[in-house]
Amino acid sequence: MKIWQRSLILLLLPSSALLTTALHQPQDPRPAPYHFTKIDASGGPLPIWSGPWSCVCDHRSGLLWEVKTDSENIHDGLWTYSWYDNSWADVPDNDQFTAQPAAHRGAPTTIGTPNNGDCYFEEERCDTADLIRRTREEKLCGVQDWRLPTAAELQTLIYTDAKAGQPTIDTAFFPKTKRGDYWTSEQDESLQTVYNYLKSGAVAVSFVDGQPITIPHRNAAFVRLVSDNSKSCH
Amino acid sequence: MAADRKSLRWVLLHGIAAIAVLCSLLTGLRIASLARPEVARFEELLPQGEVVGLHFLSALAITLAAALYVGHRLLTAFRDGATLSYRLRSLSAWRWPGWHRAIIRAGYPVLLLSLASGWLLFIGTQWHLRDWHYLGALAMLCYLALHAGLYLARWGRHSLLRICLPQGGQRSHTRLLAGAGTLALTLLLFTTGWIATVDQSQLPLPVTQIPLTDPQHPPIEIDGRANEPQWQRAAPITVYTDGGANFDDGATEITLRALTNGEEFFLSARWQDATRSLVHLPLLKTANGWEVQQQGFHHFDETRHYEDKFAVLLSSNCSFGAAGTAHLGRKPLSDRPANWHGKGYHYSSDGQLHDLWHWKAVRTNDMYLADDNFIGPPDQMRPGERRYTAGYQQDGKESGAYVMNWQWYKPTTIVPKRLPADPMQLAALQNDDRENLREKAEWVIPWFDYQPYSAAQDARFPEGTRMPSVMYNSNRFEGDRADVRARGEWKDGYWNLEMARKRVTGSALDAPIAEGTCLWVSAFDRSQIAHTRHTRALRLQFSAEPLQ
Ligand code: HEM
Ligand code: HEM
Repeated sequence: MKIWQRSLILLLLPSSALLTTALHQPQDPRPAPYHFTKIDASGGPLPIWSGPWSCVCDHRSGLLWEVKTDSENIHDGLWTYSWYDNSWADVPDNDQFTAQPAAHRGAPTTIGTPNNGDCYFEEERCDTADLIRRTREEKLCGVQDWRLPTAAELQTLIYTDAKAGQPTIDTAFFPKTKRGDYWTSEQDESLQTVYNYLKSGAVAVSFVDGQPITIPHRNAAFVRLVSDNSKSCH
Repeated sequence: MAADRKSLRWVLLHGIAAIAVLCSLLTGLRIASLARPEVARFEELLPQGEVVGLHFLSALAITLAAALYVGHRLLTAFRDGATLSYRLRSLSAWRWPGWHRAIIRAGYPVLLLSLASGWLLFIGTQWHLRDWHYLGALAMLCYLALHAGLYLARWGRHSLLRICLPQGGQRSHTRLLAGAGTLALTLLLFTTGWIATVDQSQLPLPVTQIPLTDPQHPPIEIDGRANEPQWQRAAPITVYTDGGANFDDGATEITLRALTNGEEFFLSARWQDATRSLVHLPLLKTANGWEVQQQGFHHFDETRHYEDKFAVLLSSNCSFGAAGTAHLGRKPLSDRPANWHGKGYHYSSDGQLHDLWHWKAVRTNDMYLADDNFIGPPDQMRPGERRYTAGYQQDGKESGAYVMNWQWYKPTTIVPKRLPADPMQLAALQNDDRENLREKAEWVIPWFDYQPYSAAQDARFPEGTRMPSVMYNSNRFEGDRADVRARGEWKDGYWNLEMARKRVTGSALDAPIAEGTCLWVSAFDRSQIAHTRHTRALRLQFSAEPLQ
């Protein structure tokens, strides 16, 4: 090789490397695909890092979940509810929205304790039936069949890798979640047969340890509603 | 050329110097990329990760190589004194030594500049030497290009053989032994040098013992004044910190004092900051709606519309680069998300937790607290989170006691969470006088002074209205995040910050504060992540006997 050839290579190689990197624009981080999709108030999907959003679709289960807020509307994460079900009073027996129709046929038309939780949106205090009624009326995320989840459904949201001190849920999708108990639709069979009013209860799932726990209906616990029949999730 | 080969000694010395200089240059340029966009443009060519420690390791290698070389030259000159006088005489008969030699000679002052400015930077003088050291690095880059480039152009791969292959031939037993001895001695020197640099380079910060209960003096109040008589007993230490955004050339001197009453540890910090910045990402009403005032926040690197902050890192680990947690570059971990600004992030690579107190002039000061954070192992990837902060995390609680007044941040327009019941509540913030905005107006919104957002209410605010964006929704952090009490007061161009924490909190996320604990401090002048730093850690030194 001649000197001029070597010189050319020695000049071109580094300068082209420098030029390429100088011209190359580093790419902004991009989101990885994930099984949650944010859904806006009218039912439309949002890109993963956008907001605000009102619901989350979980593509693993096909369930659409209510998202809590801190805006003092009916979905505020601070509100608590007593477990109360009055759907038997005015709904036909084969109502598809409630979880266990068969168990209650011929039973009293209301179950649980009305108005024993804390919220600002009702004249009286709050119960689960209030939130269900209001959310259905509102057609949150374009959906009308909002209901309490079963324990198994709610437990699909348990996220054991939560950061220190946070509730066991993916807070990037479910903000304003409390480290506390969230009601399910499940009535505890064994307690129901007991005629002691205080001993009857419903199942809640704890977002501290992810475990179900039966607590009296009159307790104030949190609620996250679900819909299994939404357009945005199917 | 291939015929007259270099000695083994030369090959070794030259090889070490070449590798160490290259390593210093690359790691140094990565460090420079933090604050110099012109260097950051070439980020793909620079190493990532724990480069700070590596920079000092190679710095030591160069220093040693340079010392050995000087020693060798002196020794040979001494041995045949004739050469010296011959040299002196030949000065008069000076002639052009040829390009190769000329470049090599020009390299010596460059190396001297790098070494001197580097060690002074390391020690931490207040002479603003960063630019000189950077200049030395650029000169070193030119030197390497010319020196290696010209040899390669002239001799091609023969020049590589020449610097790698020593002379052959028989060596006497004694010379071999002497060589091996020198090599072993050099290695020993290097190892002890490195251990000494790592272990002995910290600055002692005396922690003066005061009585737990003192009938003569009331207890220390965390009010940002540090005017209790107890503080008079603490010996102040001043550290020069630089490399931050704003300030005076990105640098400020921080004076620290430390006390303990056995149970609690008290730290007072005072640093120069000409402006008291409280305007934290303010909202501005435009024709399109409310906009977040920002200049970099979208990439998590705001340096203008931000509050002042101060951070303290505490660890039993005293390694360079913030206890070895500073990992530079856009993506120091190949299997974790990159950062948006390309600078890097903090995490520990050995699983250790390091305590981080983060005082914020708006978001935590009115709570009389510092945010209690920690730096741990790199967090797992969380697809829902746009910003990956690696090991830098909060102790407990999702959002603490403050929230930002937007439903969701967007670089375009946002919808506020809450609005004042009466636009007149914002009157004091509309005065355009910078002084007023920065230094006097109230930039925290108590939650209940505002009401939930409604479009009707929004219409009452004219275009051009300025509104704060930090809302306190309670006046305390809860649980572990509230372990550090802190209060700062700004006066006459200085922040005065007082902090206190129990020496042992019982939280697994807090480091106990004990003899030998290392401490680093960083000041932020209206910047989100661009903070000042110092190289040598401060090492806590508790006084043995409680003073009465
Ligand atoms: C050939 C030798 C060297 C080169 C090319 C080099 C290069 C650099 C560069 C480019 C920077 C970044 C400056 C900036 O932020 O603008 C840097 C930082 C630094 N260098 Fe060097 N350096 C060399 C030797 C040394 C030596 C011998 C020491 C002595 C310990 C040293 C200590 C430092 C220190 C303390 C910093 C600041 C680190 C920080 O910002 O945290 N360097 N060096
Ligand atoms: C002196 C001790 C140090 C302390 C107390 C400290 C503290 C911090 C804190 C609190 C942040 C996060 C700011 C925020 O997200 O709000 C941060 C970010 C950062 N620090 Fe340090 N640091 C120290 C030393 C260093 C050193 C020595 C380097 C590098 C030479 C460094 C490089 C960085 C970088 C690149 C970021 C941006 C990380 C990100 O935004 O995710 N730090 N540091």
